[in-house]
Amino acid sequence: MTGAPVVFVVDDDPSVRSSLKLLIGSEGLQVESFDSADTFLQRKPPDAPSCLVLDVRLRGSSGLDFQRQLAARNIRIPIVFITGHGDIPMTVKAMKAGAIEFLSKPFRDQDLLDAVRTGLEQDRARREREKQVTDLQQRFNSLTPREQEVISLVVSGMLNKQIAGQLGTAENTVKVHRSRAMEKMCAQSFAELVRMIETLKSPSERAS
Amino acid sequence: MTSETQGAKRSAEPIDLRDLIETIPALVLCALADGSAEFANRAWQEYSGRPLQELTGNGWQTTIHPDDIANFFHESTAALVSGKSIETEARLRRADGQYQWFSIRKTLAVSRSQSSEPSLRILIACEDIEERKQEESARRYSEESYRVVVETASDAVISLDERGAILLANPATTRVFGYDAGELLGKPLTMLMPEFLRKLHEAGFKRYLATGQRHINWQGTELTGLRKNGQEFPVEISFGELTKDGHRVFTGFIRDISERKQAEETRKQAQQTIQTTQAELARVSRLTTMGELAASIAHEVNQPLTAVNNNGNACLRLLAKQNLQPDVLRRALEEIVAEGTRASAIIARIRAFIKKSPVEKNRVGINEVVGEVLAIIGHGFEENGILLQSELAQDLPPVLGDRVQLQQVMLNLIMNAIEAITAVTDRPRLLWVESRIDESGDILVTVRDSGTGLGLEADRAFTPFFTTKANGIGMGLPISRSIIEGHGGRLWAAPNFPHGAVFSFTMPVADEGPS
Repeated sequence: MTGAPVVFVVDDDPSVRSSLKLLIGSEGLQVESFDSADTFLQRKPPDAPSCLVLDVRLRGSSGLDFQRQLAARNIRIPIVFITGHGDIPMTVKAMKAGAIEFLSKPFRDQDLLDAVRTGLEQDRARREREKQVTDLQQRFNSLTPREQEVISLVVSGMLNKQIAGQLGTAENTVKVHRSRAMEKMCAQSFAELVRMIETLKSPSERAS
Repeated sequence: MTSETQGAKRSAEPIDLRDLIETIPALVLCALADGSAEFANRAWQEYSGRPLQELTGNGWQTTIHPDDIANFFHESTAALVSGKSIETEARLRRADGQYQWFSIRKTLAVSRSQSSEPSLRILIACEDIEERKQEESARRYSEESYRVVVETASDAVISLDERGAILLANPATTRVFGYDAGELLGKPLTMLMPEFLRKLHEAGFKRYLATGQRHINWQGTELTGLRKNGQEFPVEISFGELTKDGHRVFTGFIRDISERKQAEETRKQAQQTIQTTQAELARVSRLTTMGELAASIAHEVNQPLTAVNNNGNACLRLLAKQNLQPDVLRRALEEIVAEGTRASAIIARIRAFIKKSPVEKNRVGINEVVGEVLAIIGHGFEENGILLQSELAQDLPPVLGDRVQLQQVMLNLIMNAIEAITAVTDRPRLLWVESRIDESGDILVTVRDSGTGLGLEADRAFTPFFTTKANGIGMGLPISRSIIEGHGGRLWAAPNFPHGAVFSFTMPVADEGPS
């Protein structure tokens, strides 16, 4: 089961870091703060919706570099950038790379909290979609090879009789495979089964 | 001597002849056919510093310069016998041992005394030509050195006759123009100039011959020459004129100044580049410093501000939810105070940075400051076609101030005025600088221009970072104002009528005291 949402704060200024923790925490959100990108990476990714509040100017690497690093590691956490001296090209770069928001210090507290909520919601939705796909895949995997074969042909639009002919079996046998597969996939209707199989075929398209 | 005079001698008394010979200034000696002297006149004795007895016989020959003896006796007696007198030149030894040049005339004389055989005598008369010789040698030397100068000169030297045809061209002419002397002799000078100068030269030359009126300066005029290969090049020419055998001869020195011109051009360009670079460097470094300072201020101050805001907002939110724990509140407030202190420390540091050097106040003559700044700007006025008028009241009392800071203010006001004036193209570009004592007894300095004026933005001119200039940073006037205020004065702007702006500042007069 997924846990409570977590907000991560990465800023090298201790007072800004602790004040962010207090502000975001005042909304009842769980906050963890880090003084560098590296210490953040050492933490095991949580099994919960999360969001990263990231200072652009960091010791060592810039926040934009860190954004690229995360993408390269396939860590798909929404990022809210905060900066002391942002310029337009920097903002454009960050937003193009998928940032939720780019805020200049000092920012309005509501703007930051809104951005954090947007980020958490986006992450929750993504996790939900990914979980659905995972569940479907598990259910599909529980089918026997014959059942998998039968429903693949069913969703392609073939009639039971045609499937029986193609597989060299009786029409009744096809009917049995089909109803068992529907049951195992938890599909309430034929239409739902079709949608499930489609989702499995292109999970990345549907998730994005 | 002619035969007639010889005839006359024969009829005269020999003693008279000798007396006569004694009186003339020329050196005269009478020798026998074998070369031994019978008599030397007083002039010879005096010149050589020897008594007659030392000169008679062969003794006189020692007065002839050893190098000239051969030549002296070279002429055969045969020539004399034929009745001709022989002229030659020789150096004779003076009493002090110095030799001087003499013109020598040797004449054969036949004396017939009643008692003896007619005897042959040679009369040698010597005339001092030392002075002439020296003049001649000097002239020859001068001619020779002139020739050497002309032959070896690096400038082309060309002589012309009255028709403008070339009489002489030195070897350098070949180097400069590419023609051999042979190709030039007798040709018109115009072949060495480009088409556009030929008519001018011919007309000017004709006019000069007719009226003596010169159409160019004859000393160091810059013109264009034409080489044999068709290339035009800059030359500097100097011409002189002399009259020889009733004909006028013009001699010119023509110098190829292509290299000099090119060097001048290169130097000018280099200078311009340096100036541009310096100006650009100054501007960039000013902008960079200010830009970096501004970015640094923004970043440094934003950190504590962000922390203060976050802490305050968090407390407000917790308070609204009635969930504000006292220890949370205390920690937040402590941070707010700490961050506030941090921000003020940053600002204090920046202020200390800006006012790095302590102000050094001395008694300063404001007119001197104005004069120094006008001198710094110097040709900036002329370059921009600006007419500067300064009315500086005499005998102004000194002010107490930092000379360098006051110079900065004056420089800033005048540079602003120049920039505002140079934008103007349709009316006179005027700049007035005035100093006087105002009604309240303070010193008043005004900088007035006929430039673009301040328009509706007069009030904003002193706002930091406000600028109407493309390259300005908007700090000049705010800094100037803070300097003047730091000196107990005021700086303000007003429109000028009908055009432009007036910037004025006042400063209190320094108290009486040691300077």
